[in-house]
Amino acid sequence: MRDLKHMIFFENLLQEANNDLVKQARGEGKRALGYTCYFMPEVLLDLPGCFSVRLRAPRSGSPDMATYYMSNRTCHYGRALLERALEGGFHFLDANLATETCTVTCRFQEHLERMGVIQNPVFFSTFTDVPFKKNENSMVHYRKQLQAHVLDPLREKLGVDTSDEALLAAIEEHNEVCRLITEIGEYRKLPNPPVTGYEFHVIQLVTLTCPKYLILPYLRETAEELKTREPDAKPPFRCRVVLAGAENDDPAFTALVESCGALVVADRYCYGSLPGREEIVVPEGQRPLDAVARHYLQTSCCPRFMPQEQMRERKKYLADLVRAYHADGLIVASNKFCEYWSYERTMDALILPRDYGIPTCSIEKEYVNASTGQLRTRFQAFVESVEIKKLQEAK
Amino acid sequence: MKKLRLPGNLRGLKKAARDFWFGKPHGERRLGELYVDKTGLYKHREWRGVKDTLYYFNNVWLYNYGALVGDVVKYSDPVTFVRGLWRYRWIGQAYLPVLHWFDRGLEGLRGEALRASAWHYRAMVCVSVNQIGNLLKADAKLHNGAHNDAWRHTVAHKETVWGGVFYPWSDRLAHVPMEMIPYFITCHVNNHVVLNYIDAVQGIGLPGDPCPMCQAEAGLFVLDDMPDYAPFVVTTNEACDGSVASAAIQDWFLDRPLFALPQPMRFDDPLVQEHCANEIRELWKFVEEQTGLPFKWELLKQNLERQNELQRFEWEKWDVAARTFCYPINSVAQALYRIYQTQYGDHPIWHITDRRVGKIMNRCVEKKIDAFPKTRHRVIAWSCAPLYYSHWCTWAYNCWGLNTVINMDSLMFDMTIRTDTQENCMLDMARYHEWAPMRRMVVGGMHHIFELWSYMERFRCDMVMMYDQLQCKGMQGVVGLFEDEFRKRGVHAIWMPHALPDKRTVSRTEIRRIVNDYMTTVMKEEPLDPSLLDFDDDMGW
Repeated sequence: MRDLKHMIFFENLLQEANNDLVKQARGEGKRALGYTCYFMPEVLLDLPGCFSVRLRAPRSGSPDMATYYMSNRTCHYGRALLERALEGGFHFLDANLATETCTVTCRFQEHLERMGVIQNPVFFSTFTDVPFKKNENSMVHYRKQLQAHVLDPLREKLGVDTSDEALLAAIEEHNEVCRLITEIGEYRKLPNPPVTGYEFHVIQLVTLTCPKYLILPYLRETAEELKTREPDAKPPFRCRVVLAGAENDDPAFTALVESCGALVVADRYCYGSLPGREEIVVPEGQRPLDAVARHYLQTSCCPRFMPQEQMRERKKYLADLVRAYHADGLIVASNKFCEYWSYERTMDALILPRDYGIPTCSIEKEYVNASTGQLRTRFQAFVESVEIKKLQEAK
Repeated sequence: MKKLRLPGNLRGLKKAARDFWFGKPHGERRLGELYVDKTGLYKHREWRGVKDTLYYFNNVWLYNYGALVGDVVKYSDPVTFVRGLWRYRWIGQAYLPVLHWFDRGLEGLRGEALRASAWHYRAMVCVSVNQIGNLLKADAKLHNGAHNDAWRHTVAHKETVWGGVFYPWSDRLAHVPMEMIPYFITCHVNNHVVLNYIDAVQGIGLPGDPCPMCQAEAGLFVLDDMPDYAPFVVTTNEACDGSVASAAIQDWFLDRPLFALPQPMRFDDPLVQEHCANEIRELWKFVEEQTGLPFKWELLKQNLERQNELQRFEWEKWDVAARTFCYPINSVAQALYRIYQTQYGDHPIWHITDRRVGKIMNRCVEKKIDAFPKTRHRVIAWSCAPLYYSHWCTWAYNCWGLNTVINMDSLMFDMTIRTDTQENCMLDMARYHEWAPMRRMVVGGMHHIFELWSYMERFRCDMVMMYDQLQCKGMQGVVGLFEDEFRKRGVHAIWMPHALPDKRTVSRTEIRRIVNDYMTTVMKEEPLDPSLLDFDDDMGW
């Protein structure tokens, strides 16, 4: 396929957290607000006068300083973020809006708070308590938390306009991003999509790490470009897979899967778009904050949710994705030392093939995938097994 | 066989007579020579002097063997018990070595310390047998799949759900924590048993790095080694991500109505209390729906008030431990009894035990009895302890004079619950529920972890035994900050690596070697009992 016009620009934006668009927005007087988890609604951080940056530590090496503080037995993602912070890579942040949604990212954020790592005089950090259920009690609690630990501090400390009108404007902008990402993502349902999993991963990531108002023009143009983009007549892929799992902000990982012959047609992982890029609907008579709280609790498929029906729905959701995107199989990847996804992955690898008949490849990876040989072998073997299954079914 | 040699002079004879009558003084006991090499078993029990040996034989050994039989008759029936013993490996493998568990924990103790600590052990055994009885009576697997009346009147819950939330039905429902006996208690008594469960869950694809406690808990279900004793289950996110995640595996295997009782992670935030209280109310509705039995406020109140009595006595204990040298309870008894009592909730045996221990403690204070006279350092143990070597502190005192005065798990649940109004009661119950072991200080905000310094001051400790649970993400995530603080404050801290129930990661021998190394190379001290420096108990219970 012909290269997308802005792909190299997008790739460059992902080379560091403080990228060109972040610098531009800060130069325009906007406040940069960091966060790590879907449970911190990015739309609240994209209010007028500020913008959200979902934290990443691209081009990470060995996190030596962070390993001293957090040992080598914690998730590499959390340590890579702390290392980047200790190196000075997050000094551009004006605030960090933290959630204690998994232990190690929580510890990373607590280090930011306790050690005074961020050299920015206005910097502050607050923690939001996120519920484990989706019932009404949890909705009320979550809304109160977002008010007390996100909106109030933003207004009081940074002078951000947190009125309902401002929130509605942020929702509108957010929804446009969601519409565009959904539009681009829908192409992946086609038999021969005009966008690869890698390209989609890059596009999705720039929407999480760049100011929305600055990335939107490029997104619009890319969506337009895709309408007429001609896919290769003979694509190099031998099967289609849904990629699910834990934190994954590394498009090179998706590229690795695709280099083994499996086109990634759906992205159900932290930093992915499924779920994550659904539009927020504000019903008549409801306060925007209520709608935001409800939206993020309802849409999340995090393994953190404990009620029985949600534990079971998560499996069905994956199976539905496989069907909707016409995938041949599922790859579930968890980061080493991630407690949630270690279990979730184990269960997925047992339940999805048994109850839904979906071939599943279960792998464990690091945040920085330096040695990819073993993973490549696993993916190649999985692609072959899916191909054999298809051949057998054809007979 | 070693020959008995009589002393050749009068002084020697007098000493031999004194040793016979009073037991050898600390420093001459050579307790390490009592072990059969590699087994951790004793060649013979320790001679503690006439009075203490008779007390141990009569009031600890005989009494508890009798009680182990008596409690089975009291709380279960012998036939069901024997069938359970045959069906579940954790019963047989943990029931038989119980007295060895006493021996390990109470090694070297004399006088009031021996008596007070032994009563704590006795209470734990009593509640354990009671729970086993409840498990087996209701177990459909032992009754040809039939759901009997006991099955319909028992609540199954994750061991980290505080038992107090079921007080409103204490006259009609039994509650049994699912993993407390098969995993937690078993691990203390016989450290080999749970390894099988850890291997089982890894056998279905779980990686080896999540918390091994949650792994073992999940493995019980993988191996179908959990009785089917209740119509529904209550689970919780206490203490950590692994607990949440392992609940999914348990749900899959149990496949019955499940209520998730979450605890807010940021429990210091005043805004979370109402949310937590509402979840407890939701639980109560669920129990009513499932059982058809109404909630009784008066019953809740009465139970909470009884529980408050236990807490007030605990504060008395802490006061004696902090202010005097007369505290007669050794560290393993203190830690296990406290965690068991607070997590399980009220039970008559706790009150009986506290009254007995109270008398002993008062006697110690009145007569100024130094219960641990060879104390060289007052130690505070911080973070989660190795379950397979919870009696390390008994060894550390005997070998090095390290007297572990208090530990982090004991300091959880540090509150009474108001019963004046329902509103106050709910808020306090929420708070209590949030202050559970491994939660208040290990995960759920860093602030409380560093309360260590104030507790060191309060309990006049000069050393820290810093448990280093290698697979606890919460604690691993703060190791560097602790190192910084230890250096800054000039605190002697020994990092004790372990993997909670899994002795294969760091053995008991390795733990002792780490302590020995610190005491000789950093503290430049000589052991009180050199025979305990190095011995191999890897195959021991």
